[in-house]
Amino acid sequence: MAEISFPLPDLGEGLIEATVLEWLVSPGDQVERNQPLVEVETTKSAVELPSPQAGKVVRTYGGPGDTINVGEPLIVFEVPDNTAGIVGTVPQDEAPKRRVRLSAVLDED
Amino acid sequence: MSGRHTGEQHSHTVEGTDPQLYVAVHEPGTDAGLRPVMLLHGFSSSAKLNWEDTGWLAALLEAGRRVITVDLPGHGRSGAPEDMDSYAPSRIRADLLQIAFDAGARPLRDGDPASGLDLIGYSLGSRLAWEFGATQHELVHRLVLGGPNTADPLAEFDLVAAQRYLADGTPIADESTAGLLKMAQLLPSNNIFSLLSLVEAIKGEPFDPAEAVPRMPMLLVAGDKDERAASMPELAALGAKAGAMVEQVLLPGRNHTNAVTSRAFKQEAISFLAV
Amino acid sequence: MSNSILEGESAGFRQAQSPAQAQSPASTTAVMSMQQALNLALDEVLAENPRTLVFGEDCGRLGGVFRITDGLQAKHGEQRVFDTPLAESGILGMSVGLAMAGFHPIPEVQFDGFAYPAINQIVCQIARMNYRSRGTLPMPITLRVPSFGGIRAPEHHGESLEALFAHVPGLKVVSPSNPHEAYHLLKYAATRPDPVIFLEPKSRYWQKGEVDAARHDADGGSPTGAKVMRAGRHVTLVAWGAMVARCLQVAGLAAEDGIDVEVLDLRWLKPIDAEALAASVRKTRRAVVVHEAPLTSGLGAEVAQLITQACFDTLKAPVERVTGFDVPYPSGDLEDEYIPNIDRILFGIQRVLEYKRG
Repeated sequence: MAEISFPLPDLGEGLIEATVLEWLVSPGDQVERNQPLVEVETTKSAVELPSPQAGKVVRTYGGPGDTINVGEPLIVFEVPDNTAGIVGTVPQDEAPKRRVRLSAVLDED
Repeated sequence: MSGRHTGEQHSHTVEGTDPQLYVAVHEPGTDAGLRPVMLLHGFSSSAKLNWEDTGWLAALLEAGRRVITVDLPGHGRSGAPEDMDSYAPSRIRADLLQIAFDAGARPLRDGDPASGLDLIGYSLGSRLAWEFGATQHELVHRLVLGGPNTADPLAEFDLVAAQRYLADGTPIADESTAGLLKMAQLLPSNNIFSLLSLVEAIKGEPFDPAEAVPRMPMLLVAGDKDERAASMPELAALGAKAGAMVEQVLLPGRNHTNAVTSRAFKQEAISFLAV
Repeated sequence: MSNSILEGESAGFRQAQSPAQAQSPASTTAVMSMQQALNLALDEVLAENPRTLVFGEDCGRLGGVFRITDGLQAKHGEQRVFDTPLAESGILGMSVGLAMAGFHPIPEVQFDGFAYPAINQIVCQIARMNYRSRGTLPMPITLRVPSFGGIRAPEHHGESLEALFAHVPGLKVVSPSNPHEAYHLLKYAATRPDPVIFLEPKSRYWQKGEVDAARHDADGGSPTGAKVMRAGRHVTLVAWGAMVARCLQVAGLAAEDGIDVEVLDLRWLKPIDAEALAASVRKTRRAVVVHEAPLTSGLGAEVAQLITQACFDTLKAPVERVTGFDVPYPSGDLEDEYIPNIDRILFGIQRVLEYKRG
């Protein structure tokens, strides 16, 4: 198992911080990628942040009303070691399958 | 899988001119078999800011609802027409009706849960939804009105002061006007002059909720710290007097800006519309 | 460190001594994934050489999208392990300057397909600086590139660039095939005075294997040149990177049919170990080269020529090539159709077995 920490992402348009409105997950929860994690409010709008990945929530940072700066830790996940990266899937080693048979008269000259 | 068709869905125009509204129809992975839901965003917002970034679209799709989103004129990815008529609330409602039909909404039929249209509005979108419901009772099944108000704050907007401020920086005396303009200027995607056209058009057709009252069931939702929605109970009373079933929900600790992301709001709306 | 292994001198190549062998503590065998093996190698290189720097997109705080640099920033500091902007030309351009200033950069290009924007820096600067400066400005840069297909990634996230890099004078190119090789080859590459393009087979990142950190080979061999991964008498399969594991599977299946396959892991794609190729094919007299890259002008042609040159008189059949097709590397859905599969490799073996001189 490995822990992966995600910081508050850049919410665009020069915003440098956000205020936590409500956490939608708690430590111990198993979350899926894109599942809503937390509602935060900036000076421009309120947004719901989707989970950047699947995993078990280990820690969350900040309670309702707390301000978090962009780039500061927001949430920590525990993920299995053999988790794929941001794209693609982990290939599974399977027993080799074949349709072709070899036939040869090996003249050992 | 959530399929999604974006772009200019509407193939018909009202009054012969293209309103250049950006429409997106979002298909759920598993269709619950219910009527589509149309989402109407607030002033100086957009379908993306009001409904996508806040998690509404994902929550509705998850609930199996087909969703129609529209950017109001001058907002989001919609065009910014030059003519004032394109911004008149009455014209916008006519365009919305055409968009709903082009996206497949059909008049209500008894016993057919796929017939009709549900509407969710926020702020200015709630005003449009109220009027749309009142005039389209054969189509609209239920209304969810977020951050609603009996009077449109935009009607009190000091247009002259705003234009002077934009021209040479003269400070705006009216606090509400200054606040609304600041909000409008925060988003680079806003076409500020187009937004002022919308304000001017709204001043020409101010909101009068008593003029036509929707009679379908409605859910009114606001943050308990939302001063702009302080008159929500008056709207509820108007609806009830006209015979509508009205439910009200107050979201603790929320204001006009941050009520929109509330999970409780989404859950109340989704279950209210799931009939 | 001698600069004698510059271009294609595989004879001199074999004499180079692995510093890992000289310095690592005795017997430290552990089972780990290639990710962990690469991470361990980087960790040790950072600890052993204070002029080493590790950087790239997401390499710092996140620890790399494939976790290869996981924990290294926390351990070695933000000065030595850091994130870069999304600009490969900048990552490699910065490496040039750092190398000139005496650092040993180990940059990462996050995916093979992202190397293209940095081709100018790699080809026109990194590969040439040593020549241009008459040896006064060596470029001790190890460029890590998660490479090849096999993880069902979208476009630009799976490419086989080895022939492109191997064609550029001044670059060395290497690709490990398992965790043990990954650990030792990376440690070796990171101590070279020359630029090394290190192609990591991303489809093998998660597979575990035994890593003996103390010894590179059971027989005390070196991290240079090719390596026989399975000995055989009838035909030589030449491969590198992820294709080595597949060729070993094929060798197992061929044995069921009575065919004894030798699998040669080429490892270094520039310079190519011509002696090892010759030694293997002199014995088996048949060869099939397997790679993911397209056929035309792929490294298979170079390998076939080196074999033909050395073994023309004893070859029983022309060298066969089993490769990707002459199309852009496809995205995930079509990968199984593109990458040489077991049956295509078996067909290649069959073709050299049944070849009749006419």
